[in-house]
Amino acid sequence: MKSKENTKEVFESPLKIRMKLAWRAFKENWKIFSESKIGVLGLWIVITFAIAGFVVYPILASTVWKPTLSGMTSYDPVTGYDFTTMNNPTPPSWHHLLGTDPLGRDVLAQLLYSTPREFALGILAALITVFIGTVIGTVSAYYGGVVDTFFMRLADLVLLFPFIPFLIVLSGMIQIDLLRLALIIGLISGFGGITIVLRSQAMVVKVKPFIESAKVSGASNPYIIVNHIIPNVMPLSFLYMMFNVTGAIFSEAVLSFFGLLNIRMSWGLMIYTADTAGYIVGGNIGHYWWLWLPPGAAITLLCGAFYFIGRGLDEVVNPRLRRR
Amino acid sequence: MRPVLEVKNLKMYYNTRAGIVKAADDISFTLAQGESMGLVGESGCGKTSVSMSIMRLLAENANIVNGNIYFKGKDIVKLNDEEINKIRWAGIAMIFQAAMNSLNPVYKVGDQIIEAILAHEPNVTFEESRARVAELYKLVGLDPKRMDNYPHEYSGGMKQRAIIAMSLSCNPDIIIADEPTTALDVIVQDMILKEMAKIQKKLNMSMIYISHDIAVIAEVAEKIAIMYAGKIVELSDAVTVFKKPAHPYTVGLMSSFPSIHGEKKKLVTIPGEPPNLLNAPDHCRFAPRCPFATKECWEKMPLYEEISPNHFVACFHPQNLRKQVSKDA
Amino acid sequence: MLKYIGKRLVQIFILLVVYVAVVFFLLHSMPGGIKAMLTTNPNLTPQARDSILHAFGLDQSLWVQFLTYLKNIFTLNLGVSFSFYPTPVWSIIAERLPRTIFLFATATLISFFIGFSSGKSLAWKRGKVSEYVATIIGVITYTVFTPLLIFVLIWFFGAYLGILPINQFLNPDLWVNTTFDAQTVFLYLLLTVSIVGAAILFSFIVAQKVSHRVKTKKIILYTSTAIASALSIFWWAISPYGIYGADIIWHMVLPVLSVAIISYAGTMLVMRDSMLETIKEDFITTARAKGLPDKVVRDKHAARTAMLPVITNFVLSMGFVVSGGLITESLFSWPGMGMTLLNATLAKDYPLASGALIFTGIFVLFAHLVVDIVYAFLDPRIRY
Repeated sequence: MKSKENTKEVFESPLKIRMKLAWRAFKENWKIFSESKIGVLGLWIVITFAIAGFVVYPILASTVWKPTLSGMTSYDPVTGYDFTTMNNPTPPSWHHLLGTDPLGRDVLAQLLYSTPREFALGILAALITVFIGTVIGTVSAYYGGVVDTFFMRLADLVLLFPFIPFLIVLSGMIQIDLLRLALIIGLISGFGGITIVLRSQAMVVKVKPFIESAKVSGASNPYIIVNHIIPNVMPLSFLYMMFNVTGAIFSEAVLSFFGLLNIRMSWGLMIYTADTAGYIVGGNIGHYWWLWLPPGAAITLLCGAFYFIGRGLDEVVNPRLRRR
Repeated sequence: MRPVLEVKNLKMYYNTRAGIVKAADDISFTLAQGESMGLVGESGCGKTSVSMSIMRLLAENANIVNGNIYFKGKDIVKLNDEEINKIRWAGIAMIFQAAMNSLNPVYKVGDQIIEAILAHEPNVTFEESRARVAELYKLVGLDPKRMDNYPHEYSGGMKQRAIIAMSLSCNPDIIIADEPTTALDVIVQDMILKEMAKIQKKLNMSMIYISHDIAVIAEVAEKIAIMYAGKIVELSDAVTVFKKPAHPYTVGLMSSFPSIHGEKKKLVTIPGEPPNLLNAPDHCRFAPRCPFATKECWEKMPLYEEISPNHFVACFHPQNLRKQVSKDA
Repeated sequence: MLKYIGKRLVQIFILLVVYVAVVFFLLHSMPGGIKAMLTTNPNLTPQARDSILHAFGLDQSLWVQFLTYLKNIFTLNLGVSFSFYPTPVWSIIAERLPRTIFLFATATLISFFIGFSSGKSLAWKRGKVSEYVATIIGVITYTVFTPLLIFVLIWFFGAYLGILPINQFLNPDLWVNTTFDAQTVFLYLLLTVSIVGAAILFSFIVAQKVSHRVKTKKIILYTSTAIASALSIFWWAISPYGIYGADIIWHMVLPVLSVAIISYAGTMLVMRDSMLETIKEDFITTARAKGLPDKVVRDKHAARTAMLPVITNFVLSMGFVVSGGLITESLFSWPGMGMTLLNATLAKDYPLASGALIFTGIFVLFAHLVVDIVYAFLDPRIRY
């Protein structure tokens, strides 16, 4: 009877075992991560924004903010207009919790409407960056030689590349929308600093005995890179993904703040609208605070939150930084 | 003769998140002018804590809770920061455990020595101090031309010699050498130890060698103190400690090191683990590992007593052991 | 040392060529290509158009075009601006680049100095209220959205307190009757600052050579700094430019403050972390054991060594600071490179925009080189 149970356990599916191992590793790492106050704070901010953008906005849009038959008040973030208010922008009121912008649109609706788009942009750009960075970093480390030298010098250049000025000039030549922006940011920063970091991590993994044994047992080079090296640099990639999300959201905010992007609505654009209409100049700034403070704070908080998560993950990934 | 250093009932505790660590617990010893003493014990037994207390280089969470350290009659424990800075290096100098990292990488080695001289002797000119460093370099067997090199241009042995030169730079009364040769290979180790002993004799300084390696200490120290779990368990002159060890731990320590000379003996390891200094027990701390432990040992702390002239032991059964050892032999 | 600098120079030069190539091929791949960009200006006469086409070799193959473009950049022939027709792009950049350099150099020095000393003190005395306050301020200024920060600064100093001018390079009312232009005064300012800076550097080197005691070194350094500053202030006071120079400086305060705050937090946080690592090192224990006063251990041994990662970090954060500077310039209507780049882009003035982009890159590479040389002076381990 007993032996039967044992065999049962032995023949548990490999996938299940892997899942169990992953779950255990996750729990351990979570414990370290949760000790870093700043990381947990970042996580909470991100969760709050995600709920606001992905849950609260759709609910509000389909209930309270639903277009009424009279058409007097519209909460559409781009085309909406409130005919009941006289002089736009109006300060916060029960009708418009964060007031209206110079064009009579509800600021809160704009804020919430933009949130999922910021997430999409940041995460898409970061995924592209991490994908390219991981592949190039590991390949450079594994093959070395000319490939390595080339990509490392390229990374030096990208590190110094005046990124925002470049995007500004580019936006004058082609129409940049959110997807294009994510692609451009992801592509360029993929060749930058992240490859240097991941390469040095891959160099450490490369000399480990299990790589040697995989080679001896006849594994091909691509197989070793994909199955042995990449999984071992993954934690670091994930860490850099967080910093890249920050960078992408920041870049988008700056560009749309200058009105250079071809998008319908974003936090940066909200400030741009207020700025070009003259509500942030000089003495107006304190008076019309609801025009710039909510989007500015949202950009700051979301950028900061991903950065905080990165700092928290740093303690998981770099044991050197761990407190005893 | 008045002792140059006298440590009396020194207690130095660390406050950690987990509790109080009694790193040095009731330590007493004296050191005479020109005498060399060895402080031996396993790592983590509090040797470095004792030396750091003497220099008053304490970590933020470390406190001297009791005791006195008299240096030429002045109590180091009670001095303020300015007064202690005057004693450091000019009175008591130190050779550190990690020679590799004891020199600042961004300054020339010679300048780091000169810095110490100028800090303590304001009347010495820069040229005079350079001349003195050159002398010291010759004394420790370094080329004076290397003064103007940076630490990364030195080899490990050279750095160690430079640090010895640095420790001599202000003519201190005492030098504390904390594992002075652990980072070096055996041949260089031996050479440097011999030279240190020679210089010590020549300049008639007092010296405290700290090591986990009793063989190293045996070569250079006249007097040996054995530390276990934050306490000195045995203290006497080197000959007595080697010929007539009275504490079971000393015996254990000695039989766990190979000897090149003399008959072949089986190396014996001390059973059990070194004690945790966190929340240390109130009974004899060696009892859990001691083959001779009796009920008494598990109940009380043995007193640190002079069992014969200049032979101090903290054990309830020193005589028993003596018999046991002679029986074995 | 010279060998090291030479090596870095060559590397930076190669990076520069690659950078120009990247910009060139990107411009080329845009709709219409470079040809359209340089010549779609309604003001351009047919002759002028032909001469531009010829100067840029736009009737030749791609490689020849690239080489010509490269040659044109090194001979500073960047075409003619559309929006400032017929001013050549180079003369616009030559006017504005020094302003940006001045803004950056001042702000960087200030933020480095403050970030360095506050990071140092925070790490040295831990667990105080000031540590939490400074860390929170540091993290906030590090993550804050730059325009938001500048709005707050403008509101506080310009509107609420009303003590500082909030935009432009100078006060036009004051300059109505002057016979000289602002650029001349500005260049004189730049010259004064460089002379004072050089004097301080020189006296620092002299002090190092002459004396070996900290006190005399300090006396030499402070007296010469005081003399140089007093002399330059005296010169400005008696010269006819005095009040105008003051006007320019007055208008620079807020932009400098903004850029300094943007780059301050990074320096402070890195310095603090680096210092915390350094004070665990054995050589710090050695220094304390030598009986050196607390301050000497902190400044001469700990901070001096902990500074090195801060300088490395400065290179890595340069992109961030440059974009911060661009935002600052445009929000204060302060006519430097950043504002030129932005306005040229908005006005579809392609020659000026691409020229400004190239010179922004050259500026960054040059700053990188300067930092590298400073680093080599500070860290003896890399002077191989």
